[in-house]
Amino acid sequence: MNDPDFYQFSTLTVLLLLAAFYGGTYLLTLKIRKPQEDTDAYMVSNHRIGFGMGAASMTATWIWAASFYAAATSGYTYGVSGPLHYGLWGALMILFIYPFGRRFRKLAPNAHTLGELIHARHGSSSQLILALSNVMGSVISLMVNFTAAGALVAVLSPLSFQAGVIIAGVGVLGYTLWSGFRASVLTDFAQLVALMAIAVVIIPAVLFAMGGPGAMVAGLDNLTAEQSNLFSMTAILEQGAPFFVAVLAYAIGNQTISQRLFAVNESHIKPTFITATVGYGAIVIGLGMIGLMALTLGVEPMNGDMNNLIPQMVSSYLPPVFIGLFFILVIGSLSSTADSDLSALSAIIMADVYGKNIARGKADPKRMLLIGRLTMVVATMVGIVFASFSLDILVMLVFVGALWGAIVFPVIASCFWDRVTNAAFTTSVLVAMVLFCIARFELVPLAGGAGLFFEILASIGGGIIIALMVFGFCGRRLGAIAGVLAGLAMLVFATGFLRDYTVLLASLTAYGASTLVCTLMSLASPQRFDFDTIRQRVGNYDDHQPTDERPARGGAAPGFAEQY
Amino acid sequence: MQTLIYGAYVLVWPALTLGVLALICRAVWRDMRAANKDDRDLV
Repeated sequence: MNDPDFYQFSTLTVLLLLAAFYGGTYLLTLKIRKPQEDTDAYMVSNHRIGFGMGAASMTATWIWAASFYAAATSGYTYGVSGPLHYGLWGALMILFIYPFGRRFRKLAPNAHTLGELIHARHGSSSQLILALSNVMGSVISLMVNFTAAGALVAVLSPLSFQAGVIIAGVGVLGYTLWSGFRASVLTDFAQLVALMAIAVVIIPAVLFAMGGPGAMVAGLDNLTAEQSNLFSMTAILEQGAPFFVAVLAYAIGNQTISQRLFAVNESHIKPTFITATVGYGAIVIGLGMIGLMALTLGVEPMNGDMNNLIPQMVSSYLPPVFIGLFFILVIGSLSSTADSDLSALSAIIMADVYGKNIARGKADPKRMLLIGRLTMVVATMVGIVFASFSLDILVMLVFVGALWGAIVFPVIASCFWDRVTNAAFTTSVLVAMVLFCIARFELVPLAGGAGLFFEILASIGGGIIIALMVFGFCGRRLGAIAGVLAGLAMLVFATGFLRDYTVLLASLTAYGASTLVCTLMSLASPQRFDFDTIRQRVGNYDDHQPTDERPARGGAAPGFAEQY
Repeated sequence: MQTLIYGAYVLVWPALTLGVLALICRAVWRDMRAANKDDRDLV
């Protein structure tokens, strides 16, 4: 695995770097450690995290190791616009969720997971669909981050891939296990400061070490016409469009985001998420520029592996101290995301599985805490095993992506529209998944009537994505107008064309089918839901509020809603 | 001119990162003071 063309640290140096990083992080968490941790705080802190800590945590969580490698790959592949098409849409995932997050928070101010809100709205089946999608997403994320640690250690030192995976897994678990989400947020801040400071130094350092902007301009001849174009259609269709489709799905399907929506001070949700959007975009697009620099210089990725681009550039142009900083940059980014995934998984098992479906309103906070910690241990082991054996998770990725797309409309509609029923939610997601599989794996030939059928569904899906995005910021009327216009435009331009792009067609079909089925079934139902009952059903688990404000364990006391 | 544009295109991102870093550090300092004042945990 070791490559002599990369700068090599000695085993002792790498072990010291890792010990300094994980040891320092662990010592930091001792400052907030309590002998008896509070169960609610273990999942969402005190619901009053300030703007600074919240923005730092959201930014650090959303930046994972793959962000750098993928942004650089995009810059190298698509040229000038490549880093933008990776970083911008990733950043917008944070931005577009906050208007909906404010609604989630208003409906269930004491929730710990989005699943709890959906449980109060619909019941177990809808909640567990959401929880399952969250769990799969976090397990995949854990595996990817541990894999990145293994690869980095193996490339830059004599240590093996497995050693890197295990050190990262044990290191992250060590500092997150006792205080859970609180430890995650505190360490996110420290990790983000290191990460940003290093990014601020490394990007200009590589640029000037390779000869400055002049060398870049001199190498523009190495770019194709498409790569030189800031508005490259290839980049938009191959990189931007699939990310754009996933903007809302990634945010809704990710408990790490929901957890922070429920944890930050309610009045700070907007500035927190806007700052995180800008912070994420700046770091990721900036590091993606290293891929563009490599392209202008005509650098070939070592062994054809695009993930080698940034280490290769840093190794080639900068002294060893910068390579050490780069090492910390990657370890910091993957650890901040991995600790958030552990916290997310523990909250889901604690609240969604144990609190709502096993204890059913009679949750024991101490047992719940134990379950949360055991979940972290098991999740770390699963992440390490998956990463160590380099398991092929492509099918898992495909299904998680589809599930996230399928739940977007039912989840959002359930929080705004009083007619959506549990049956409509569940059925729409299942139908969408079936239709997704048919389109994605071409179980029927996508020609003639079948092709047209899926293109119409996909056009509805495209329309609903635009509608929801506009609705979040501009309200119902403008959202509906934008959605109809986008859907009509899709019908005109996508018919006879989209069937050739099965990945995009299938993703949009998931959105369209779930929207259609959920809407039709809801319209057919005479039921009306009273949204005020949600805050009565979702409460804290610990007895830490004054008696007159204290909700019942796992559900609020009568009269709780009146206080708001 | 092209050199200037490309230089700015690359360097604007670390500059923006530095701005956000300063903003977050200042806000965290305020969070810490507010938590101390209210005698509650920062997180």
